[in-house]
Amino acid sequence: MLQSRFGFATLLAVATFLASWYCSTAVAEDWVRWRGPNLDGISQETNWKSDWPQSGPKILWTCEVGTGFSSVVVQGERAYTIGHVDENDVVYCLDVHDGKTIWKHEYAAPLDDRDFEGGPTSTPAIDGDRLYVLSRAGDLCCLDTLTGSAHWQIQIADAADVRVPGWGFSAPPLVVGDKLVLNVGESGAVLNKHDGKILWSSADKECGYASPVLIPGAVKPTVVFASARAFIGVDLETGEQLWSERWLTSFNCNAADPIIHKAKMFVSAGYNRGSALFEFQNEKPQLVWKSKEMQNQLHSSLLYKEHLYGIDGDMDMGARLKCMEWSTGKVVWSVEDLRPGGLSIAGGKLLVLRETGELLVAPAAPDGFSPIARGQVLQSKCWTVPVLANGRVYCRSIQGQVACVDCRE
Amino acid sequence: MSVNRRTFLATTAAASAIVASPSVHAASKDKKFRTALIGSGWWGMNILREALAAGQTKVVALCDVDRDKLELAGEEVTDLCGDEPNTYTDFRELFDKEDIEIAVIATPDHWHALNTLAAIEKGAHVFIEKPTGHTIGESQAILAAARAADRVVQVGLHRRIGPHHVAGIKFLKDGGAGDIGLVKMFVHSRGGEETPTKNSPPPENLDWDMYCGPAPLRPFNRKIHPGGFRNYLDFANGTLGDWGVHWLDQMLWWCDQQSPRSVYSTGGRPIRGEAILNDEEQTSDTPDCQVATYEFDDFTAIWEHRRFAGDGPEKPSIGCCFYGTKGTFHMGWRDGWTFYPDDSKKSAIHQDSELQEPDGHNLQLLWADFLSAIESGRRPVADIEIGHQATTLSLLGMLSLKLGRSVRWDGEAGRIIGDDAANRLLVREYRAPWTYPTIS
Repeated sequence: MLQSRFGFATLLAVATFLASWYCSTAVAEDWVRWRGPNLDGISQETNWKSDWPQSGPKILWTCEVGTGFSSVVVQGERAYTIGHVDENDVVYCLDVHDGKTIWKHEYAAPLDDRDFEGGPTSTPAIDGDRLYVLSRAGDLCCLDTLTGSAHWQIQIADAADVRVPGWGFSAPPLVVGDKLVLNVGESGAVLNKHDGKILWSSADKECGYASPVLIPGAVKPTVVFASARAFIGVDLETGEQLWSERWLTSFNCNAADPIIHKAKMFVSAGYNRGSALFEFQNEKPQLVWKSKEMQNQLHSSLLYKEHLYGIDGDMDMGARLKCMEWSTGKVVWSVEDLRPGGLSIAGGKLLVLRETGELLVAPAAPDGFSPIARGQVLQSKCWTVPVLANGRVYCRSIQGQVACVDCRE
Repeated sequence: MSVNRRTFLATTAAASAIVASPSVHAASKDKKFRTALIGSGWWGMNILREALAAGQTKVVALCDVDRDKLELAGEEVTDLCGDEPNTYTDFRELFDKEDIEIAVIATPDHWHALNTLAAIEKGAHVFIEKPTGHTIGESQAILAAARAADRVVQVGLHRRIGPHHVAGIKFLKDGGAGDIGLVKMFVHSRGGEETPTKNSPPPENLDWDMYCGPAPLRPFNRKIHPGGFRNYLDFANGTLGDWGVHWLDQMLWWCDQQSPRSVYSTGGRPIRGEAILNDEEQTSDTPDCQVATYEFDDFTAIWEHRRFAGDGPEKPSIGCCFYGTKGTFHMGWRDGWTFYPDDSKKSAIHQDSELQEPDGHNLQLLWADFLSAIESGRRPVADIEIGHQATTLSLLGMLSLKLGRSVRWDGEAGRIIGDDAANRLLVREYRAPWTYPTIS
C-alpha cells in the first residue's frame, strides 16, 4: 500500500519536474535536492500565499532534528534532513503534515564544532526511491526513502583515497542519470548510484565546499567542481579535467556553487575574495568582469531575470543582501543590517530567512528590497536556506529546530 | 643583525628634533613611494589598501611565505591600481633585489624584528604592525635601528589617531574624569574547551620552515595558518600581545608614557585545557584568561581578558576604563567613548566612534600621518618608541605570567631589576640560521 503510494508520489514528482521544465510556473512542486528541481535555488511554485497576518504566518508544526546546516528536501508527503544528536548524525524522514518522524537513520559522526557549531553541512539528495547522504567525514550512504534502510554505504575519503577538507565534506551529492557526482578530491568523483562503485575519482587534493554543477548544453557533459583553489571543468564520463580557472581564497573556501547561464559562469567566495563572471569561449572560461561587491561566503547567489540576488560578506560579521546585475556586476541595491541567513526564490519572490529566525517575503526585483510579509518562525540562529515545496516553507536553525510554515492557498 | 648603539644614542639625544633630509622636504604630493608589503594576508592587505587609497604608493614588491596569499594579494593590487608587484617568498631576496622606500611589515610577531631591521638597513621607512616584537629585546633593537638610521617607523596603533580616541584622551587630560586612580583594560570574548586538532602536512603553497623562521619548527596545523598564529606562543603572545597592546597604549597615552615600577600577571587555560603539542595533534597554548597588574607611581593599571563568558553584566566587553574622582570613563571600540559621572544628577557624556568598516579601524588617518611624517621629518603619532613602550608592557605581562612572579621594571634601562632569570626572558633563542638582533 505504502509502496504504491510512494511510487505514485515519485511519478507525480517526475511529472511535476517535467512540467516545470516546459513552463515557467507550477502550481506545486517538490524540492528533491539542494538548489531545487532546476538546480538554481528557485521554485516555480506560484500558488502559495504571503498575505500573512501581522502576527506572522501559520506554523504548521515544528520539530527537532539536531545540530547542523543541512537544508530540507521534500518529495510528496515526506521531508528529509540531517542533524547531529549525541554522538551520531541522524537522517530524518518527516511527515510533511505533522513533522512526525517516519524513520531515522543514524551513523556515528563527531559533532566537530571547531570554528562553528558543527554538525552536518551537506543536504541529502532524493532520487526516486533513494536518498543519498554524505557526512562531513566522508561516510556516504544510499538509503531507501520508504524505510530508511541502507542499500549501500561507503567511506568515500578512504575509497577514493582523498583527504577531508578543513571543515569536512559539505557538498550535496548530485544525481545525473545513473551517476552520483561528489565534490571530493581535487576535481570530484563519480560513482554508480546503484551500488556505490567508484567510476572515477580525482587526485588527493583539497576539495571545496560547493555542489558539483553541470554545464547546461555542453557538447561533452561537463561538470564544474569548486576545488580548494580553482573551479575545474571535468568530463563527466571520464573525469578528465577540461579546464581549470584558478580561484584562490584565504581559507581554501570555495563554498558557493558556480552559476552557469547562457555560456557564462559566475563564481564567488567570501573572505574578501569577491566574484567574477566568465564567458565560455571554445568551452574555456574567459574573464568578463570581477568585483569585490558580492562575496558569497557560504550561500550561492540566485540568478533571476538577469539579476543576481545574494548574501554578501562574512556571515559572522552580519552580511548584506544584494542585488547585482548579471551582465555587468553592478550593484543595483544592497540591504545592510539584515543579517540574512538563507535565501531562495519562489514564484518571483525572495524568501529570506534571517539569522534571527525571521522569515521575509519580498519581490525579487531590481527596483529595491520591499518585504511584503514577515514573521518570526524560529527562535535560534539560522544559516540554512528556506525551502518551499507544495505550499509549505521549511526553515531550519543551526540548533536543529525545523519550522514548517503553512503558505498553502 | 647588530645595531650600533653609539649612533643610536647620538640620535636619540636629538630626540624630538628629528632631522629630515631636504630632498624629502621637497617631495610633492605627486611623489609615489616605492612600497613593499611583507606579510600579505588579511591585515597586511588592509594596510596596503589604505596606502593605495592615499594615492602616493607604488607597490613594487610583495612577500609572503604562503604563495596563495601572495598571488591573491598581487591580483588585488593589480586590480586596484594597475601595479604589477614582484612577488617573493623570502624577504631577504626582496630587499636584495628591490629598491624600497616604504616597507609595510604585517607578518606574525616572531618575524617583526628581522623583517623590520632588514627594511631599515636598506634605508626604508617602515609601517610595522603591532606588537613591535615577540620579545622585548627585539623591540628594543628596532627602536635603536630606527633612531640610528633616522627612519620614520610608524606602528599600526590606529587607535592613536582615531577621532573618538583623540577626543576621549583630551577629555581625560582636561580633567573630565577628575583624578584617575585606577585604569582597567579588558577584552572578553566567547569560548570554551579546546580539543586538539590533527597535525597535517603543510599545504603545498606554504613554506612552513620559513613561516616558523626564528621560532621552533613545530608540526604544521591548520589552526595556526591561516589566521591563527596569535594563539601560539611560538609566534605571538595571545590576547595580551594583540589587543593588549592597543589598550595599554591608550593608558600610556593618557599618562604621558610613564613607566610602571612593577608588573605582575597570572592566568592560564582553566577552560581551554592544558596545551597539547605532539607529532599527531596540537592545541593552541595561549592563556584563555589573564590578569596583569601594572603599578605606576600614582595609579594602578590592570589588564584582564577572558576567552569565555564573553557576555555578562560588565558591559561593554572591550576597552579601557579610567576610574576618576568625577566618575568612570570608558574608551571603547565601535561604541565610542562614554563618561559616567559619579553625580547621579548629571547625565552621561558620549562620543560615537568614526571607524572604517568592515574591520573597524582608522588606518586611513594613520597612513596619512605616516606620509606626512616622512615628508616633514617629524615623528609620526604612533612612533616606534610609542609602539615599543606599549609592546613592552604587554610582553612584561607575558614574562611575569611565564615566570610566576612579579618583576620590577627599570624603564630607563629597559631591564628588570635584580632578577637574572627574568632578564633572560627579555630575549629568546632563535632557530638557526637566524640570529637574535643585538644592539652593539
